[in-house]
Parts: sequence; structure tokens; C-alpha cells
Amino acid sequence: MANEPLPPFSSSVRLKYVKLGYQYLVNHILTFILIPIIVGISIELARVGPDEILSLVRFLNDLDLIYVMSTLFLVIIVGTVYFMSRPRPVYLVDYACFRPKPNFRVPFSTFLEHARLVPQFDERTVRFQVKILERSGLGEETCLPPANHYIPPTCSMAAARSEAELVIFSAIDELLNKTGMRPKNIDILIVNCSLFSPTPSLSAMIVNKYKLRSNILSFNLSGMGCSAGLISLDLARDLLQAHGNSNALVVSTEIITPNYYLGKERAMLLPNCLFRMGAAAVLLSNCRRERSRAKYRLTHVVRTHKGADDAAYRCVFQEQDSEGLTGINLSKDLMAIAGDALKSNITTMGPLVLPASEQLLFLFSLIARKVFKAKWKPYIPDFRLAFEHFCIHAGGRAVIDELQKNLQLSDQHVEASRMALHRFGNTSSSSLWYELNYIESKGRMKKGDRVWMIGFGSGFKCNSAVWKCLKTIKTPVDGPWSTSIHRYPVDIPAVVKVL
Amino acid sequence: MTVSVETRRSRVTVYAKSTAPSLTPVKPGKTHEFTALDHSMSRHSVHLVCYYRQAPTVTMTALKESLCDVLSYYPAMTGRLVKNEGDGCGEWMVKCNDAGVRMVDARADTTLDEFLATATDEEERQLAYWEDVGSDPYLWSPYCIQFTDFKDGSMAVGISCTHFHADPTCVAVFSRAWSETHRRALVTCPPFFHPWAFYPRKNPVPSSPHLSEKSTIPPPLHPPAMSSVTFAFSASSVRQCLADLQLSNLSPFDALASLLWLRISSYKSASLGTAQLTLAVDCRRRMSAPLPLGFYGNALHFFGVKADLSSGWSHIASELNCHVSGIKEDDVWSSVEWLHERSKEKAFQMYGPELTCLAWDNVPVYNAEFSPGAIPVHVGCRIGNAQGEGLVVIMAGAPGEGEEARTVIVTLPTDLTAQIYRDEAILKYGPKIMFSPNI
Repeated sequence: MANEPLPPFSSSVRLKYVKLGYQYLVNHILTFILIPIIVGISIELARVGPDEILSLVRFLNDLDLIYVMSTLFLVIIVGTVYFMSRPRPVYLVDYACFRPKPNFRVPFSTFLEHARLVPQFDERTVRFQVKILERSGLGEETCLPPANHYIPPTCSMAAARSEAELVIFSAIDELLNKTGMRPKNIDILIVNCSLFSPTPSLSAMIVNKYKLRSNILSFNLSGMGCSAGLISLDLARDLLQAHGNSNALVVSTEIITPNYYLGKERAMLLPNCLFRMGAAAVLLSNCRRERSRAKYRLTHVVRTHKGADDAAYRCVFQEQDSEGLTGINLSKDLMAIAGDALKSNITTMGPLVLPASEQLLFLFSLIARKVFKAKWKPYIPDFRLAFEHFCIHAGGRAVIDELQKNLQLSDQHVEASRMALHRFGNTSSSSLWYELNYIESKGRMKKGDRVWMIGFGSGFKCNSAVWKCLKTIKTPVDGPWSTSIHRYPVDIPAVVKVL
Repeated sequence: MTVSVETRRSRVTVYAKSTAPSLTPVKPGKTHEFTALDHSMSRHSVHLVCYYRQAPTVTMTALKESLCDVLSYYPAMTGRLVKNEGDGCGEWMVKCNDAGVRMVDARADTTLDEFLATATDEEERQLAYWEDVGSDPYLWSPYCIQFTDFKDGSMAVGISCTHFHADPTCVAVFSRAWSETHRRALVTCPPFFHPWAFYPRKNPVPSSPHLSEKSTIPPPLHPPAMSSVTFAFSASSVRQCLADLQLSNLSPFDALASLLWLRISSYKSASLGTAQLTLAVDCRRRMSAPLPLGFYGNALHFFGVKADLSSGWSHIASELNCHVSGIKEDDVWSSVEWLHERSKEKAFQMYGPELTCLAWDNVPVYNAEFSPGAIPVHVGCRIGNAQGEGLVVIMAGAPGEGEEARTVIVTLPTDLTAQIYRDEAILKYGPKIMFSPNI
């Protein structure tokens, strides 16, 4: 936050206390103003005797009944209009993540052995994949679907459908078990899966399996990238505003089977190395009776789309390479574009969530730079004051590093993201839920905590969601981390020697 | 138009290859070293095939899952061969890099019973897929497990591995551990990794006249084409053999091994005289500090038995009995020490090229029950690269046939095999003939 060159330690400590005092003052300004007023009134009341108070009461009694009733009705009408026009609260009743069975595990040595044994890859391609894997931040327990364990991978449509059934149905089964929700009570179903879009859709597959109602509102979002999970949440929230007393089931997943790239284009090999199997099912509701058992409340969703910029649009691009093989091309300036999209997003998010102290500082800094042309660095608001927990999409080690730098977060804040990347790999849109589960499993989620979920995806999109925790989550938590949480956090070296 | 039997299309089709990881990651840096005995067996491979009837828990998916589970106990199986650069000896060892074992999916176009009745030697060989080490040993899985689905839902599980890693007893114990893991029962013989088991004694006496002689035999220029036939002797047949021998305290092994030795030799040359038979015996339990059955590695002792074949079957049988029961621990140690001395040299062929017999009937092989109470219908064992005069494997028979039942798998040059399975002296005892070269 230092805007001018600072002298040594002692003054930075003083500065810290100044900053704390300033924050308390500005964030509780109303309290500070109210206290003198209350004191004033009490002193006035104490000074004025009981007779004056009684005369005030008799004055009110003398008023015409009509005036009293009108005032009362006016208050009631204003109150009703106010309460009715407030948006319906959206509660997250519970969520469940797919727990991959360890026999789908892909150790680094197996991955590379397969890369060498598959005839389509040449030596250069294999060496590049080794380099990526070594620096990826993934661990030895990430899982690929059964089709990818074959030499060569059997990427048939049937295999893709069976992977979809495996991950989605186990997540939904777990969710229905945990919440006791009957499938007939689900009113809205939203599924997002970017790279696999069969007909009938995955949402139709779910309706078929669980025998959901015929008047269900079902949606299937495809092609929207790794941030589609938050887009689904936004859609669910909007639908829950339009329909009262409803339950929405949101399923976020990414199907790996049809997307194994068997070509030589280096920019397209990254998804092979990083993408892993995962899915999450989330139950949202706006019913009042769910409030008592809901875990979180959705407070804000902010979506930013940088697609108008050509470079951002082509940043993550699915195309055919020179040999006609389809793959996802990740451009070299992905990090820069991601940083830019994040800045746009937090510019919109800031005023919604930051405490008044930070907003004022930002305003002063902005005025000073724009109006008075002072040579100050742009003030980055301290988001640690707005949130207790951060879930950053585990897109890759570089993404998490970049965001940690941009938002000036400590290692503990990004620990959930790094550990989810290590244990589960890049599970695309469901990674945020694995990270949330990590925080809960570590016993760090307390009532009143605010969580910021940030997702990035092709487009280029940066979406955020803010949750408020409604009850302290007690450990041990039954979830995908149950068998491994005691081993985390682990120290992930910058380069893991594979060969 | 009738298709000639030799060129009949095989009913076994392999359609997919994959890799099975172990459930728990292996700690990085773990290695497994080989003993001198392991090095000496490096030219051969072991193939064990177990046949199971249809059962609800015995499906390819379930078996693959339990395979991953049991591999957590066998980090040496999921590792890869590397040269030991460490203390400069440059020998092969296993780097436990957690790469997994190869799995092969196959289907057979027939029912299990029909297969057991009519399959040829070639078809049974196809139930245990095996690839020799290619150009890069680091990418080569030393184990390969094939799952073959039959039309009636029965399953054949074929475990192939290089003899470098394990001898047939080790593979049988592994399949038992796998079946126990599948049933979620306690693993009765967990693997025992102890590469120092066959480290030379404090005062080594390296000497093995038999093996020294073998090592000097040059490999044959044109190894003959080999084929096999399986004789399944029921307990009554074996008892009849023993009765015919009219000698007491002979074991089924003595009777059958001597019978086959005699008959094979009589087809090779018209006149019978003194001949030598190489015997391979599992010596885990024969050491004074016995190794547990779960000892992972090779523990086969090879030695020669000379007998005058013209003096009759009984004489040969009693000679065999004498030699097998009279194996001295010192001899075992001497041959281990001799092998240890020459471990840096290239390994030579251990099973063959002279007539060899593997005495494996003391090892239980029908106890791999994947489904409670459902033991394998049949178990077959082959040894790869045993070219030469032939190999006879004598193993335990199906428990349903009686305690003395034995399965004998005879691998001989093709023309000899054709004669041996029509041999009157053997057929007199009514063995069931399976997996012959021509039906």
C-alpha cells in the first residue's frame, strides 16, 4: 500500500496502526456518529423532567385518529414495498464433489510412459510434456477417466458418456443423500460442461436418470470454459428471483475423454497435462425453510467478459492443427489477459464488497492520479479486509501465482487453490468447489466468513461470486478430501524431477 | 470346404491395452534389488493362467479395481528396470517409480467348458499376453495381466511376468493375495521383499558342476519350434501309477516325472542308456532359515539327476525320489554362490536346452478364490524361452480331482509333442488331454 518511499521499520509499524485506526473510524462511521447523538438525547431526557415527556405523549394522543392511521398505513406500505422489492435470498443448501477412485490415478511416470508408447507423439512432444508436468504443481494422485488409461486412449462417444455418467451421477447421488432432497422437488436444473455436448444434453441425461419432473426448467451450458460454473450460478440466481420457493440443482463438470490431443502442436498439449476428472453438484434454494440448514448465502455475482478484444477472444481457442487434429490452443499472453480481466472484474466488485475505508482510499488515490496527476502507483484495495477466504480457479500454477501477486494475497489465502491443484489437478469449473471443501475440511470456515470465488475461462471471461457463511462448518467433513486432508498442506517444489 | 486344423483362426481376440496403477503412491526413491538367482533367470518368463466360472463379483471392472488395491503391497511390480549406477556395479535393478502394470483386455468366442475341451496349445498361449522387452526397458512393464471374457460370462486371468522378477511360486502367491484383496479378506501371505536372502555366506563355497556345465553349452543355432500339451491326471490315475511302480514311499511327482522322462527319451532315441534330467525345485522351505511363502523373487534350485533309463521305470522313479528328498542345503548355497560370482556375465538358459523338469506340485495354486468358495476351474503354467529338448512342468491338479491329482504340462519340439500325447504308456492311466497342438 506504500505510495511513497518508506523509512525503516519503526515508521512502518506506526503506519500500520494509523491504517488500522483509519479503517475502524471509516468502517464504523455510523456508530461513531450515532454515539454522540444517543448521548445527547439521553442527557436531554435526563435534564427534561417526566412532566415534559408526559405532555409530549398527551400531544400525540390529541392528534386525529385519521392522521395516526394514515401515518401507520404509510409506514406499513413503505415497509411492505421495501421487503417485497428486495431480491430473494439465494441459499446454498449443500454441495458435493465427485470423489475419484484411486484406481483412476495417473502417476507422472505412467503419464509419460503412455506418452512415449503412443505412436502419435514424437520425442520433442514428449519432452515438452515432461517439462510441463514437472512444473505443473500437480501431485501423484490426480485422476483421469478410464478411457485415458488405454494405450492409445479410446476416445469414443460411448466412453465420454460413461465418464459423464460416472462423475455427474456420483456427485448428485452424494448431494441428494446429504441433503435428503427428493428429485421430484428440484425445480431448476443447470448443467455446464464446456467440451462435451451430446444430444440429448447432459441435463436431459440427469432428468432421465433421476426421473425429474416434466415441468423442470433445465439448461445446458456448453462452450463457456472454466468459468462456466459461476455463470451457471448466476443463471440459477436469476431464475430463483423469478420463481419463488424453488430449488435449483447446478452441476459443473468437464469431460476429459473426448479431448485428449494426439498431435504435435505444443500450445495444444497443455490441457493433456493439466486437465483431470472432476465434477460438483450444488443445491441452491430460495425457500425460507432452507435457511436454517443452508451453509452459505450468495451475496454477489460479478461477470466480466473481455471478448470484445480480439487478443482476449483468441486467447483460449479450440481449433484444428496443421494435421487436422482438434485441440485447445492456449496463447502465450494468457497471463497478461487474465490479469487484465481480473482488474476489470475487481473494479466492478470492489464497490460492492470493500469496506468504506478502502473505497475512500481508492477514491483519493484515483483523484490524485487523474486530477492532480500525482505519480502514484494505482492503489490496490486490500481485499483481505473484504473476504476471509479465497477460492481461485486452479487453472495452473502460473494462474495462481499471478493472482497472488495481483491481489497481494498471502500463502495461506491461496493454499486452498494450490492444494486442490496438487490433489485433483485442473478440474475446470468444479475446481472452486474442491477448494471450498478444502477450506471446510481444514476447519477454517466460521459463521459470518465471506468467501470470494474467482473463475477464469475462455472468452476471455473473469467471473466472481461472493458467499457468506451462515454456520460454522464442523470437522471432520465428509467430502473428497476426507482421505487425504491430514496430509495437506504439502510443500510443492517448483520443479519435480520425473525421470 | 473344410479349413485345415493348423490354420484355424484363434477364438481369442485381444482388443485393448491399458495400465493399472497401485492405489497408494509409492514413496519416491524406493528401489528393489535383484539377487544372483534373479539375474540367472533373466532369459525366461512365467505365464500363469487361471480359469474362473461366472460369478457376480468376478467381472473385469471389479478385478481391475482389486488389482490396483493389491499392487499397493507390491511396489516392486509397478516399477521399471534401470541399471544400478549407484555403487558402480551396473546391474539391473527395479526403480519403484509407480508406473503400474500392463493390463490387456481380451474376449474368447466360446464358452469356458468348450474352450477347456477343445482349445489348442496356441489358444491357451494367447490367454497370457506377453511382450518381450523392446528397445527401452524403462517403458516396458515387467508384468502383464490379461483378462479374457468368455461367452458365458466366465473369465480367464493370465499373469505373465519376466522370470527376472518372480518365479512361478511368487506369481501364484501374488494371485492368491489378489483374490484375498478382492474378497476383502486378510492377505495370508503378504510379500516379503528381502534381496539379501541369497547373499553369499560368510565362507562361500561357490561350486555348481551342473550349472557350470550348462553355462558352457552354446545356444543352439536353430532352436526347434516347440509346442505343448497338458495332461490332467486325476487322483485315481496317479494312484494307479504308484500301484504299478510297486514301490512304497514314492510321491506322485516321482511317478509322473519318471514316466514322462522315460517316454520322452524313448521317442528321442531308440536305445536307452544313462541320461541326465535337470530338475528345478522350489527351495523356499528347504533352507534352515526358511523363507516365507511370500518371499518375492526367485528361489528355484537347479540340479541334475543321472539315471540309467534302461533299468526300468521303478528304478528311475526311486532315483528321482532319492535326489529330490536328498537335496542338501549346502548344495543350494554353493550353487547360489557360484551364480553370484558370475552374476556380471550374461545369463544363460536355465530351463533347457537339455530336458528339464519343474517340480512345482508342492505349491498350492488352486487357492486364488476371487469369489468366496469359487476356486479356479483350471490353472495352467508355462515358462517362456524354454527351447531345446523340452520342459515338463508338474503342478498340483484341481482339488475336485483328489489330493494326488496332478497337471503335467509338457513342452517339446513339435514332432515329439505329436507323438507324446498319443503315447500308449501314458494314455494307459487315462489322463485328460488338454491344449494339444492339434485337435
